[in-house]
Amino acid sequence: MPLTVPVKTVVLISLILLAGAVAMIFRPGEGTQVFADETTVIRVAGSTTVLPIVSRAAERFQSRHPSVKITVNTGGSGVGIHGAGTRRFDIGLASREISPKEKHRYASSDLRTTVIGRDAVACVVSSEVFHAGVQALSKQQIRDIYLGKITHWQQVGGPDRPIIVIDKEVHRGTRHVFMQYLFGKSNARAPGARLVTGSNNEEQAKIAQSNSAIGMLSVAWINDEVVGIGIRDGERVIHPTLDNVRNGRFPIVRNLNLITVGEPQGAVKQFIDYLLSEEGQQQVADSGYIPVQSPHAVSRVAGSHSK
Amino acid sequence: MNMKPMFPERGPAFWLTGLAATVSAGTIGLLFVSLVVESVPVFKAEGVSFLWGTDWFAGESYGALPMIYGSLMVTGLALVMVLPFALGSAILTSEFLSGRARLIVKAAMELLAGVPGILYGLMGIALLAVWVRDLFGLIDGNTLFTAGVLLAVMILPTVMTLAEDALRAVPGETRDTALSLGLTRIETVMQVVVPQALPGLAGAVFLGLGRAMGETIAVMLVIGGIDRIPQPWFDLFAPGQNIPSKIGREAAEALGFDVQWSALIALGLVLFLMVMTLTTAGNFLIGKAR
Repeated sequence: MPLTVPVKTVVLISLILLAGAVAMIFRPGEGTQVFADETTVIRVAGSTTVLPIVSRAAERFQSRHPSVKITVNTGGSGVGIHGAGTRRFDIGLASREISPKEKHRYASSDLRTTVIGRDAVACVVSSEVFHAGVQALSKQQIRDIYLGKITHWQQVGGPDRPIIVIDKEVHRGTRHVFMQYLFGKSNARAPGARLVTGSNNEEQAKIAQSNSAIGMLSVAWINDEVVGIGIRDGERVIHPTLDNVRNGRFPIVRNLNLITVGEPQGAVKQFIDYLLSEEGQQQVADSGYIPVQSPHAVSRVAGSHSK
Repeated sequence: MNMKPMFPERGPAFWLTGLAATVSAGTIGLLFVSLVVESVPVFKAEGVSFLWGTDWFAGESYGALPMIYGSLMVTGLALVMVLPFALGSAILTSEFLSGRARLIVKAAMELLAGVPGILYGLMGIALLAVWVRDLFGLIDGNTLFTAGVLLAVMILPTVMTLAEDALRAVPGETRDTALSLGLTRIETVMQVVVPQALPGLAGAVFLGLGRAMGETIAVMLVIGGIDRIPQPWFDLFAPGQNIPSKIGREAAEALGFDVQWSALIALGLVLFLMVMTLTTAGNFLIGKAR
């Protein structure tokens, strides 16, 4: 019968597909995945601030260790810590410290932090605002802008335009550190905000596109269109330069962290060691951040919850 | 030759196809049940006021109204803007174009309907947001209005091609009769064909709106992302937030934990119900038209 053959074929194909689906569902999912016997996959995700370092380093590392494959994804510090805690990632990237709440939530996971670099968060404005005269603001002024008390650039000596205040998603590391500095509270509210952005790219793009925006951005992401302004303290103005970050004068400084469950092991340890090696630290510097020789070299960082 | 029945007994083919059908139907049921179950914690914590609370701050309070408002507003705006263009071009294609030209237009529209949302999102953030800002003299172009326009553009092909199908479904004799009675082409279309196709046209619009309401990434890039109802509430040139964009921004961080996760799931449930209503209404109306 002509119909019996296609039915058999269909049944066979369906069975194969089904078997494939079942195999997908029950594939080994915990910890570092081993596909062929030789390829080790390191899953990395989180902060878009730490990302440039890691993707740069991953490229070099992979070319030297062909048996290791490193996947790098974004999401923000909250996602990095959360993903490491739930073991979805082998390394979580975080541009802030693990909060007490997160520590509590993942108490059973024994999260460990490795510092690979330092960074500063600058208050940034659209270049048009900078060139119109706003080259520094006091902490109080920035605070009032984010609270919605100052809404016009003229109130702080700028152009005749309203201020577009750009906030970040609440779980973003940059926001934690910035709000900790401004309000002493990492999850402070910003009722003056007009837009909320996510990644550094998104924030950078929206500020660049506007001619009257203010935002918060890692110094490594500052460019000609998105300018870091100084923080005025009385007569003194501290600009977000690498020198000021290095010598500790610029106030909003943070660690760039890798989060792992327990002490790093195997290929993960190899990769982290590479990041801490001279070559890896060079890539930290190339990405626009400040290298650390050892985790203990960092003394004072924003948003640190350790006593 | 002896004709055997295709399924002489309930053999492997029956069970496999049966399994496939059960999985398909079960998925939607399971999705709904898990949405309901996982949203319980937020309703316990916030009560029904979750639905009309206006303040959402992860870890502190969860009020869904700004997102529900945003979803309704951008979808409504998309509706208003897509209607004249979609119906106009559907009427042109169905009633005034030759068979060949019609096929080309249809093919192009169906191709357009499949363009991924992210591409519209990129166009939205790079071009549309800037145009809206400059055209209306706004301080910033990331607004509910921008999102509505973008959605209208996105659903135009879908609505247009479905509406065209509805118009084509009106039998040719109807037109011939109307014309032979002395009506002009325009009168025939507006007074005879369109009224007959009305349920199908409405269905096309509903299906399009269903897509608009669930669209995530394109909206996320241009809506402003702020969980706030504008003052006054009809100010569409203010930034806002819709449900998919909110979930998209917070889900990865909240994954599986706390009231925040439950609140996002509950938002998803609200969206699910709204989209289901639109889609069911659309399918019902289109079915009725046939």
